[in-house]
Amino acid sequence: MAKPLEGLRITDFTIHAAGPFATHLLTQLGAECIKIETSLRPDIFRKPHTVYGRQQPATYDQVASGKLSVRLNLKHPEGRKIALDLVQHSDVVAESFRPGVMKRLGLAYEDIKGVRADIVMLSVSSSGEYGPETDFAGYAPLFGAWGGLGTLTGHPDGPPVEIRHIMDHSVGLNAATATLAALVRRRRFGIGAHVDVAAREVSASLVGQTFVEAASGHESRRPGNASLDMAPSGVYPARGDDAWVAIAVSSDSMWADLTNIVSEPLPRGMTPYSSLEERFNHHAVVDEWLSRWTLQRSAAKTVQLLQERAIAAHVVSTTADVVRDEHLRSRGAIVTVQEPSGRERAAVGMPFQISGHETGIWRGTPVLGEDEEYVFGELLGLSNTERKRLEEEGAIL
Amino acid sequence: MRRASAPLEGLTVVEHTESVAGAYAGRVLATLGAKTILVEPEEGHALRQRRPLLPNGSSSIFTYLAAGKRSIVADLRSPVGQDRLKALLDSADIYIDDFSQKQRELFGVTDDQILEDQPRLIYLSVRPFGMKGPKSDWAAEEVTLFHSSGEGYLMPNGLAYESHPERPPLRVFGYFAEMQGGIAAALGGLVALLSGGGKVVDSSVQDALIALTAFGVQRYADGSIEHRSTRSFKYGGVLECQGGYVELLTLEDRQWRGLVELMGNPGWALDPELADSEARGRCGPEINKKLRSWARRLPADELVKAAQKLGVPVAKYASPAEILHGAHEVARGLFQPVEVSGMGEIPVLVAPYQFDGLPLTLGAGPPEIGTSLRAQDLFTGMEFNNG
Repeated sequence: MAKPLEGLRITDFTIHAAGPFATHLLTQLGAECIKIETSLRPDIFRKPHTVYGRQQPATYDQVASGKLSVRLNLKHPEGRKIALDLVQHSDVVAESFRPGVMKRLGLAYEDIKGVRADIVMLSVSSSGEYGPETDFAGYAPLFGAWGGLGTLTGHPDGPPVEIRHIMDHSVGLNAATATLAALVRRRRFGIGAHVDVAAREVSASLVGQTFVEAASGHESRRPGNASLDMAPSGVYPARGDDAWVAIAVSSDSMWADLTNIVSEPLPRGMTPYSSLEERFNHHAVVDEWLSRWTLQRSAAKTVQLLQERAIAAHVVSTTADVVRDEHLRSRGAIVTVQEPSGRERAAVGMPFQISGHETGIWRGTPVLGEDEEYVFGELLGLSNTERKRLEEEGAIL
Repeated sequence: MRRASAPLEGLTVVEHTESVAGAYAGRVLATLGAKTILVEPEEGHALRQRRPLLPNGSSSIFTYLAAGKRSIVADLRSPVGQDRLKALLDSADIYIDDFSQKQRELFGVTDDQILEDQPRLIYLSVRPFGMKGPKSDWAAEEVTLFHSSGEGYLMPNGLAYESHPERPPLRVFGYFAEMQGGIAAALGGLVALLSGGGKVVDSSVQDALIALTAFGVQRYADGSIEHRSTRSFKYGGVLECQGGYVELLTLEDRQWRGLVELMGNPGWALDPELADSEARGRCGPEINKKLRSWARRLPADELVKAAQKLGVPVAKYASPAEILHGAHEVARGLFQPVEVSGMGEIPVLVAPYQFDGLPLTLGAGPPEIGTSLRAQDLFTGMEFNNG
């Protein structure tokens, strides 16, 4: 089975996490993604990352898997020229430098469009390509702060919470979607586009309802795990060390069902017919009542008992749970990949399946410059002598 | 404000949904320019009642998700309603459905039934756990979905964890999980469109979240088991200031040097040992003590400006009201006033991406039930696609 985006080529200048995740999704969908790197500034996975306690380069990098690697020194005039030659052979150019960097390299949208008029160029940045704070730099937790997602996450009586790489990857997911929309337009009308994705705006888009509330005078607050329209709803302790179960009772009939399943005597004032308002008003005692019951059994057992009655419940999964999950394996959301050493490991697949197509990772992380023979030799037609000269002159470096 | 020509202009999406995930998929396609028609039962879309409610009695999440969409009433339990949907699908490119398989059978809208009638359509299924697999018919809500991803177990970190280490794992605010499911589904729909139509896209909210947690799975395979108690950045993070909280993160040496300068080169920070990033990691708790007491005296907004000038990554934890009126957001047209029945014009966030230097457009506010689509619109739509 073919992958849906086969035949599509990306010249990929992205760095860090958000941009590379966008092209990673497109790569899994079959696009040929040429990752432009340089030994002068190795990508984050090619060197130790002490912030995360990794003392060696990574043996496998999820968002680089399946991409082709070539070296190019973009500050060298001939390096830049080769980059533009690649653009000519590409459908998409992706970059995630700080706004202004591509222009300084002579690779702004205007330059790119000059060699390929219908190119779709994706630019991913903290704050977008223009605006008074376009220069503001940041990482995932800062995007969460600027856009309000981190501000509103947290315990009602606690500080805001850092949103980690799921923030970056959400930016990448939005960026891939916007790029696809531009490609659909290109297919229909033959025109290219410059797609500008601002990470802080992705954060804001995930709390879009709170701006409607703010505009009408309502102030949203940090709710913890609680919900505004369901009770009981939240995370409850299960038997075992640091084991938890998430439960949400979304209707009066489910509440009645729950009171049948939970063997503990109901708190005073509560009946199987208590309304949502009553459950809200007594949420502390209701949560305590439910916790007494959930503590007596494993999270998995609680989930089984509740799902049998169609009440929403799920184990608060650890990464180990996720990696071993049969459902996720059966869907290809978790897959097994092989490292160059032959060692097998779990990796993450696509978030959807399309009938008649396959998707996913076909190989692991490329070695730096692994695909130069194909990209520089076959695709651009550079001879070995020419490539050697370019290496010696520091254009391929 | 000038706004971009929308990339999906001329395409039609028909949306039969009840969840945030399904409605978000429709929203993404609508804001990208597709004419998006919400098929509602007589009593209205389930999310119209979802709290919190605005002063006009409308749901804030529905207002956000439905702005720019059109509405038609069709009771899919009746043959008349099913015919009405079929007529709509004649001129559609994508059909979104988030109901369970059992309900789809009841409504006559299974993927087989729809594609039999409309072989070039894209059937976009948005389900909590997907259409296939052992959990495909599991009940789910935002809190259970978020915590099915592994990310919740790792939250919160840093200051929030230190404040209440005994508390359970925490979810991200709002409908984070469902919205990720919606974006991923929209991506799937567009991929199917590009690859030729006549496809079933089986998307899952859980799968979308799993894709986002990629690093957790990667580190697990590296042999590193993460936990919320140890996942914090070694120093920096959430800092309390005058008038709010900020996030400070210096991952590179030059950013640390900028921070030292920002603090006015205090003696402790000039200790030669701290020039090394690993040593700073080891001294994290001591550095945090100093950073926290330094930041507490400073107004958050001024700290952000001064820090960014020196290339030090600092951001304010902004409130929705601050973002709504933020100079940067206003300059980029992130919000657009649209008419909300009973409330006049309300600014609604358009989309987190722009095309060719211009923001996208919201066609209208949220539709009232069944009022925004006339028979004439139906006809126009059919004419477009047949022509």
